[in-house]
Amino acid sequence: MANLTTDGKICIERKINISFTNNNFHDLVSHFNVMETCKWITENNFSKVCLQFPDELLTVSAQIYEEIKKRIDVDLYILGDTSYASCCIDAVAAMHVQGEAVIHYGRTCFTKSNIPVFIVLPKRDLDHNTTKKALKEHFNSDEHTKLCLFYDAEFEHCKDELVQIWYQQYPHSFIAFIEMEDKSKSFLGRLIKNRNEEEFPIDILKDCICIYIGLNGQTLFNYTISIEAKNWFALDPETFKIERKEETAWFKRRRFLIEKCRDANIIGILICKLAGDQTKDIISRMKQLCKVNGKKSYIISVGKPNVAKLANFPEIDIYVMIACPENDLYSSRDFYKPIIYPFELEVALNSNRESYFTSHITDYNELLPGNRHYCDINHTKEITDVSLITGKIRETRVQSNTESTMELAEKQNLALETIGHNLKERSWKGLEQKLGETEVKKAEQGRRGIPLQYNNEPE
Amino acid sequence: MVNFTVDEIRTMMDKKRNIRNMSVIAHVDHGKSTLTDSLVSKAGIIANARAGETRFTDTRKDEQDRCITIKSTAISMFFELEDKDLIFITNPDQCEKNQKGFLINLIDSPGHVDFSSEVTAALRVTDGALVVVDCVSGVCVQTETVLRQAIAERIKPILFMNKMDRALLELQLESEELYQTFQRIVENVNVIIATYNDDGGPMGEVRVDPSKGSVGFGSGLHGWAFTLKQFSEMYADKFKIDLVKLMNRLWGENFFNANTKKWSKQKDADNKRSFCMYVLDPIYKVFDAIMNFRKEEIDGLLKKLNIAIKHEDADKDGKALLKVVMRSWLPAGEALLQMIAIHLPSPVVAQKYRMEMLYEGPLDDEAAIGIKNCDPEAPLMMYISKMVPTSDKGRFYAFGRVFSGKVVTGQKARIMGPNYQPGKKDDMYEKTIQRTILMMGRYVEAIEDVPSGNICGLVGVDQFLVKTGTITTYKNAHNMKVMKFSVSPVVRVAVEPKNPADLPKLVEGLKRLAKSDPMVQCISEESGEYIVAGAGELHLEICLKDLEEDHACIPIKKSDPVVSYRETVNEESDQMCLSKSPNKHNRLFMKAQPMPDGLPEDIDEGRVNPRDDFKTRARYLGEKYQYDVTEARKIWCFGPEDTGPNILVDCTKGVQYLNEIKDSVVAGFQWATKEGVMAEENLRGVRFNIYDVTLHTDAIHRGGGQIIPTTRRCLYACLLTAKPRIMEPVYLCEIQCPEVAVGGIYGVLNRRRGHVFEESQVAGTPMFVVKAYLPVNESFGFTADLRSNTGGQAFPQCVFDHWQVLPGDPCEPGSKPYVVVQDTRKRKGLKEGLPDLSQYLDKL
Repeated sequence: MANLTTDGKICIERKINISFTNNNFHDLVSHFNVMETCKWITENNFSKVCLQFPDELLTVSAQIYEEIKKRIDVDLYILGDTSYASCCIDAVAAMHVQGEAVIHYGRTCFTKSNIPVFIVLPKRDLDHNTTKKALKEHFNSDEHTKLCLFYDAEFEHCKDELVQIWYQQYPHSFIAFIEMEDKSKSFLGRLIKNRNEEEFPIDILKDCICIYIGLNGQTLFNYTISIEAKNWFALDPETFKIERKEETAWFKRRRFLIEKCRDANIIGILICKLAGDQTKDIISRMKQLCKVNGKKSYIISVGKPNVAKLANFPEIDIYVMIACPENDLYSSRDFYKPIIYPFELEVALNSNRESYFTSHITDYNELLPGNRHYCDINHTKEITDVSLITGKIRETRVQSNTESTMELAEKQNLALETIGHNLKERSWKGLEQKLGETEVKKAEQGRRGIPLQYNNEPE
Repeated sequence: MVNFTVDEIRTMMDKKRNIRNMSVIAHVDHGKSTLTDSLVSKAGIIANARAGETRFTDTRKDEQDRCITIKSTAISMFFELEDKDLIFITNPDQCEKNQKGFLINLIDSPGHVDFSSEVTAALRVTDGALVVVDCVSGVCVQTETVLRQAIAERIKPILFMNKMDRALLELQLESEELYQTFQRIVENVNVIIATYNDDGGPMGEVRVDPSKGSVGFGSGLHGWAFTLKQFSEMYADKFKIDLVKLMNRLWGENFFNANTKKWSKQKDADNKRSFCMYVLDPIYKVFDAIMNFRKEEIDGLLKKLNIAIKHEDADKDGKALLKVVMRSWLPAGEALLQMIAIHLPSPVVAQKYRMEMLYEGPLDDEAAIGIKNCDPEAPLMMYISKMVPTSDKGRFYAFGRVFSGKVVTGQKARIMGPNYQPGKKDDMYEKTIQRTILMMGRYVEAIEDVPSGNICGLVGVDQFLVKTGTITTYKNAHNMKVMKFSVSPVVRVAVEPKNPADLPKLVEGLKRLAKSDPMVQCISEESGEYIVAGAGELHLEICLKDLEEDHACIPIKKSDPVVSYRETVNEESDQMCLSKSPNKHNRLFMKAQPMPDGLPEDIDEGRVNPRDDFKTRARYLGEKYQYDVTEARKIWCFGPEDTGPNILVDCTKGVQYLNEIKDSVVAGFQWATKEGVMAEENLRGVRFNIYDVTLHTDAIHRGGGQIIPTTRRCLYACLLTAKPRIMEPVYLCEIQCPEVAVGGIYGVLNRRRGHVFEESQVAGTPMFVVKAYLPVNESFGFTADLRSNTGGQAFPQCVFDHWQVLPGDPCEPGSKPYVVVQDTRKRKGLKEGLPDLSQYLDKL
């Protein structure tokens, strides 16, 4: 067994690239909500709790551990090196130590988890007066033009002041509050309310101008592409500049990738998320969509994907990545083969779905049965059309009905042919024997272990 | 009034020796469609009197409005030859015994260079070509282009001198002058034929000769035409000379002295050229009398020429009367149909020598033999050359020629696209042919089956073909060769719907457009833009109009024309470029260098291609381009798309495991040549050399994941260190104009970075021809600009000619190529600025 697992040393010694932020927190206890954390643990009677830190906060992890340990008697574990994205709850790592709950630090994506979680949001100060002035200069509100405020999770701690400023200026407007509990009208961890605390569904935003206070990043990007609003604006809390957000070019590029997906014969379903019920459901749905359209699919799990890992499967035409939407790999153009969202695979292969869309669905849960964007799979007929990418005829070969009538021998041939087809394209057919060309030698001991690090490296 | 029925035609189709498949080709505005009308009127589909005015084969409204043919159109006609004419057919394969009727399948094709892909498609399915030349402007650019194409496809030409009415009425040429003009045109045409045809080749001698009757003269507009045969017939009895002998006498250096009644080979004071005397003088007389309203003379002439004027035409005079008289005296249909029947080959004759040019497979398999013998009992082989829209939106008739076997309604056949390879399943469908149809101008007629040697349309195969393909019943059949176009789609615009929600309709429309035109390309680019690419501005304009009105049926926004560029290098990389794999265990050492002049074109044309035997190829490269032969033997691949004009050469010595990573390096090379480092445009004319490779001894550490991205990075480093350059497409532009306008042309060309490399007068005419190179990028609005600067007298024809380096360094801000690179990056949604070498180059 020792030969099949890696040495923990590698993990510890690995160098990571993080941008160092100012980690001198003068008041660690209040900045990381230590008091509230302790209260939550004791109230719930947890005895074994995991503290999950993103890479950039690992430096303060020990101090926080000490602070909690000082106050209550509980078994604490620090989790680092999250398998996929540090914004998601690493429930599997917690289970390794039979942890009962997870305290999550740093940026979060608010996706659901099957373990109790206490989220400690990051904090940043906001200059309320300048914010107020910047808003006033740009936006006016009356009965007709509605506004909606999205504040970054970093400002949750000072939301009361923010709310006051906002409603004072724009009494008819809305605020999308951070909502950690699962409610019927919530989306992406937000819930829209007006001054009177009435809750509203996401649809009202279609007529609203949305303003996001926070740094330009993946969160804001996800909001602009997936929440349909009249306009999107971003207010940078450092420069107080207001900028209009539009992603038309990005949408165009995605449409190209959808077209590419229709052209693909082999689709790789890339798992970049820990197993959970929804993850399993979405995987089987992706598989089914591929099958219905006569496309072959492979499930691939390679940990955090990078260019080198994915280029190991040159026969795969396109990847659909099951991952947290806060992931920025989707838009990367360095990959040998493009990566698409589950939603895009749906658009490409489910003809029941409208092929034109103005807003994206980054959260794949929404695509599953019972949710807002679920759509029945249309069992496609055998059809052909022209691909605008290759300029060739593209065919949907549905295999299910033809297979039943085929003779067994024929079926076997077909299977062999499809396996052979991919490898036939390669010029390298395997080790060359070179019989008679190589001199005869006595066998000697080779290397032991796994390629990641051999027990006896030659160099 | 149709004077033949579908049943009659079907009977004729079996008489394969009495079939003539022909196309009408010419320069734009030389009067093809008008002339074709005379034929149609003879075959009786439209009433006689309207011939010359209807443009029967221009079926589209815009064709009628603009008076320009855009799509080639086919019609089938039935024509009976008289016994006295039948003796002119000597080859037994040119006529069935005791069969006077001929079935003529005619395709009228566009003359404008932008639509020459239509001509290519027409030539493929025909065996003969009627080359029409305007005798006033002579042999023009496009005449030469289409004639060259015809010869290359082994299509036999016959010549028709059109617009004689203009020569007589407008230019008032003397008869000797007119003869000289004719003589020159015949010579010019024969020079072109001689340049591209080998007289000793399988087609034999194909030159045209008025004394043999393979050159016609006349006016399509007025509906009259003749060959020397017609005039010889008039005089043969009178002179008591054999018809054939007389025809020889009526052309060339033959003079007749009316007083001494002696023939002579030299001109002297008393004799006159026979052609002028016996052919032109009577025509001049008729013209003169009628146009000068000399009533009595007219009556005399009419009696002499044995022309009876119908009652309703009796009170006409001037041009109207001239038309009536000439048409009754020398009916165009009669003369032309005789020329066609006598001088153009039947499928039986033509397919014998065309087979090897048409079939990709072995020349002795069942399909090949079937084509060669034009055998209706052999397996079906049919080539689909284009798609014709039906009234049912989005559906098309597949139009083509049956070369072997029979195509039958309800038959199960193999439909093979251009990418089909025997033994594989890609691009091949086994489907039922729903219906076979006969296509006649604006009408289609259902027909039960069509045997070899005929042209027809098919219903129900359009879904399985994009533009062209092969239909067969023979399981081991190879494809019929794809057509080679003389133009390329270099002018591109991006289109989007005015209303964004119409996007799906636009996409559907683009797919239809892609089918409906042999040349147009509809592409979805990486950036998500939809690009329509055509051969020229006019072509694009028509395509976009079709897209908007017929295919997508939504309002469309189009961008300014976009030109696609190519990336290349100017020098060899100034250093050995090293890139390490992500795990740092593998290293690639490479360099880039420009290809020698001519090699990229050789690759484009297929003279150097990946399927060549590597030894032959290496020898060729060694001899022509001084490549080291051992290196040239180790060309790993071509790219992009495995066939492009860039190569990857293995220059390593004794590297272990190298074969193992070849697939990965090739994949990286394909990637990098498709998306170059400067603006993700295709590369062109770059040779990459691999000098050394160090690999991890363990296979798992040198898999595709390590090598593919590294190869790309290394190739990018090679490009950046080899003085990257941008190439732009350049048109060859031929402009015809009178002398006064030449100055204006120079001015316009200079402003547009064009340069003139040839200027000459068209012999016998006041017209000048200016030839120039003009960057495609500068050509938008060129035609209009030229017209306004020359008072509408200059008429340009532009064809893509070559790629040319855009002067300047794309890495130097402010230079022209820099602007091009930045604009392209912006359009594609790439990061603006210049690529950074340090991202790609590693240190030891």
